[in-house]
Amino acid sequence: MERNVQKNGLVNLVVAAVIFIAAFVVTTYVNSLAGQACSIFLGLGLLVTFTGWFQMRLDENERLERLEVEELARARGESTLFETKDAEVFPAQHARMQFDRFFVPAFGVLLFLLEGGGAWLLWRWLAKASGGVVPERALPALSLFAIFALLLFLLGRFSVTIARLENQRLLRPGASFLLAGAYVCALTALGLAGIEAKFPLADLWIAHGLCVLLGLMAAEMLVTLLLEIYRPRVKGKIARPLYESRLVGLLAQPESLFTTAAQTLDYQFGFKVSETWFFQLLQKNLLVLLLAQLAVLFLSTGVVFIEAGEQAVLERFGRPVAMLEPGAHFKWPWPAERIYRYRTEQIQTFDVGYTPDAQMGQQKTVLWSLPHAKEENFLVGNRAPVLVQGADTDTNNMLKAPPVGFISVSIPVQFQITNVQAWAYTNADPTALLQDLATREVVHYLAGVDLNDVMSSNRLEAAQVLQARIQSAANERQLGAKIIFVGLQDIHPPTPVAGDYEKVVGAEQTKLAAILAAQAEAIRTNALSIARAFTTTNLADAERVQLVTAKFAEAALFTNQIPAFEAAPAVYQQRTYFQAFARATANARKYVLLVTNTSDVVIFDLEDKIRDDLLNLNVPSSPNSSSP
Amino acid sequence: MKRNTLIVLIGAVLVIITALLLFVFQVRKSEEAVVTTFGRPTRLITEPGAYLKWPKPIQNVYKYDQRIQNFEDKFSENYTLDSITLMTSVYVGWQISDASVFLATFPGESAVSLPNAQSKLEGVLRSAKSAVIARHPLSDFVNANMQDLKFGAIESEIEQSVQSQLSTNNYGIRIEFLGFKKIGLPENVTQAVFDRMRADRQRLISLAENEGRKQAQIIESSADSEAVRTIANAQAVATGIRAEGEAEAAKTLSTFQQNPDLAIFLLRINAWEQSLNQRSTLIFDERYPPFDLFRNLPTNSPGRQP
Repeated sequence: MERNVQKNGLVNLVVAAVIFIAAFVVTTYVNSLAGQACSIFLGLGLLVTFTGWFQMRLDENERLERLEVEELARARGESTLFETKDAEVFPAQHARMQFDRFFVPAFGVLLFLLEGGGAWLLWRWLAKASGGVVPERALPALSLFAIFALLLFLLGRFSVTIARLENQRLLRPGASFLLAGAYVCALTALGLAGIEAKFPLADLWIAHGLCVLLGLMAAEMLVTLLLEIYRPRVKGKIARPLYESRLVGLLAQPESLFTTAAQTLDYQFGFKVSETWFFQLLQKNLLVLLLAQLAVLFLSTGVVFIEAGEQAVLERFGRPVAMLEPGAHFKWPWPAERIYRYRTEQIQTFDVGYTPDAQMGQQKTVLWSLPHAKEENFLVGNRAPVLVQGADTDTNNMLKAPPVGFISVSIPVQFQITNVQAWAYTNADPTALLQDLATREVVHYLAGVDLNDVMSSNRLEAAQVLQARIQSAANERQLGAKIIFVGLQDIHPPTPVAGDYEKVVGAEQTKLAAILAAQAEAIRTNALSIARAFTTTNLADAERVQLVTAKFAEAALFTNQIPAFEAAPAVYQQRTYFQAFARATANARKYVLLVTNTSDVVIFDLEDKIRDDLLNLNVPSSPNSSSP
Repeated sequence: MKRNTLIVLIGAVLVIITALLLFVFQVRKSEEAVVTTFGRPTRLITEPGAYLKWPKPIQNVYKYDQRIQNFEDKFSENYTLDSITLMTSVYVGWQISDASVFLATFPGESAVSLPNAQSKLEGVLRSAKSAVIARHPLSDFVNANMQDLKFGAIESEIEQSVQSQLSTNNYGIRIEFLGFKKIGLPENVTQAVFDRMRADRQRLISLAENEGRKQAQIIESSADSEAVRTIANAQAVATGIRAEGEAEAAKTLSTFQQNPDLAIFLLRINAWEQSLNQRSTLIFDERYPPFDLFRNLPTNSPGRQP
């Protein structure tokens, strides 16, 4: 029986080695991340299986040695032979003890390092891993991992049962690893199936899960190693192998969870819950239930729901057989029939000439001189070719400035898919192609117009022309798309020169302001001149009236003075003289020299005296003071 | 027994699935497939459906997307006929024309062979693009007069050149379409264009501002001229009015002619009176009337008894 168990251990070892190598090769072939983690797990299982098998051989050798010694003792009739501890007498026993004492703890430490290091390195590698499963190779790899899982499951299950029935503690660790390896291979196959079912992250997620499992195994091994130091050594008591993982055992035999759960429930409820028909039914048919669930999952791929706004192409073995409208539909399960969804009613948008920027998009005001998105500059024509003198004028290095200009445009293009067959089967990437076509039409249009024209008079027609051209190009390429909107939402000079364009607008306003100010001044000048002309003529008229009136009055006075003069000419003259003298000299300064025979000298200072208030007068500054 | 039957059943299902996966493959409508037997292409499948094959390594299936692939080449510099450096990028739509030839030319799975083919195509494309651009001046690419633009013709020339290369060398692919995705100028030339655009704007600024000044001065000088003219006319009218007054006043001279001595005396008195003002200083002696009155006045001095 012992020999059979040893053979069983050897078979486990060989199968573990073959499957480890095969899994590693397949993983490299398909470039699966979960496969990498699975290979590490299988490699650890191989080490554990080998160690268990080797230890079984040591135990077997010891048992044979003991039988031989017993036989020899019986032949000699001695019993003292058993009492000696000499290593030369019991070399196999000595070898087994040395193995237990040194190799097993060392192997435990090695296992901990491999598990912990493997988990850490694998986690880091997964964070940086680029690429992924090669889609064309996913199906063969999936089938191979399924076969690995099946083989490991059959062999692992058998070995676990043998180990339990015959209480083979050294067979148990390897058998548990084989059984758990079956589940890990099945998980890897599931990840590859996810790739086929268009869930490209499934492989990565499973790889992360396996990485966590390795980490837990490392932690468990560390705790086991620490507890081993303080474990009481009772003579005769056979210890559990140090490298046997309880976690792996739990994974390999999940039904032991049921046993534990049943015991807990029995204790909590006070009666044998584990003996109820429901619990027993669940325990017996767990595998069936799991398989039924898998079957339901498989059959559920036969029902498909198409959302509103979508259409789907139904392919049977790759051949399109129907177009599915929104609603529920039945189909053959995967992989016989597959559907490919397309958003036909939904308005889809892409941008030409700019890439929206979330940070810049926060600005409340859109200015030419401030970038409001990642804008491209498009070449536009310029009617006046110009040569610009380069910086290095001494060497006559003329830097040619071509007769072109630059312009920034922001053009959102909205479209709908109108013909799913054409959209799906004509071009590999129809959305990118439509974007290329639209960009080409914009580049072409702008290259053939003048910068100033397109920014002003031609702007309105530009959007319509572009929409027609993009639609025409899409039809020519049989894209099956309808362009429903092309918006010239922004068209302006590039940001570095936009400020100069704004200054031109400012200069136009300055020009208008100068003209308006001159017009105001002209109005004032004209009005004042008219008023002055009116005043001049009015004044002249008044003077005329005054003159005429005064002269006629003087004539009338003279007519009346003649009789008086003729009556007393001398008196009249004297009277008139003295009256006039009195009036004329009333306010004059008069000096009367009463002595005539003297020679008086009278000095008059006839210089004008400036008034004090004139000296202190503040003269306001004139705006035209500088002008002559 | 029941459990064993279940396990056998599961095993059988797994084996069947595995067998199906190993022996059956699907070809989509969008694909073509080449089946190789021990590395030699033995079957070309162009119709969609499910097909049988021997498992690897006896037979291998290479599936290729037979739809039009499009890619964009690098934004690269080229010299135009008029010696201007122009930067261009084109997008190209290409398709596998013969999957068997394509497999021989670009061996491997489509994940490897398609990028490989695209890389080779890009090399051919850049060569053809450079040659064609060098045959055209910049004005064929960018021109304010749309009718002088040769955008489409240049694209056709590049496409034909690339197509010719592909056909000659039997790449197993063909060009379906080609178009310019982007055209531009190198950074230093772009800066020169920006400088020119700024100078053009400065010219417009100067034009506008000085036009304003010019018009303002014209308006103001016109207004001044009009004002002077208006005032001159008014002064002429005023002079006429005064002349009329003088003429009318002259009618009174006949009245003064009745007694010219008196009239002249009165005019003299009037002129004498008006010639004195408040700040006049007059010096008289006692002989001047009316101050001659001081001469005959009696005094209290004893030596001067009258």
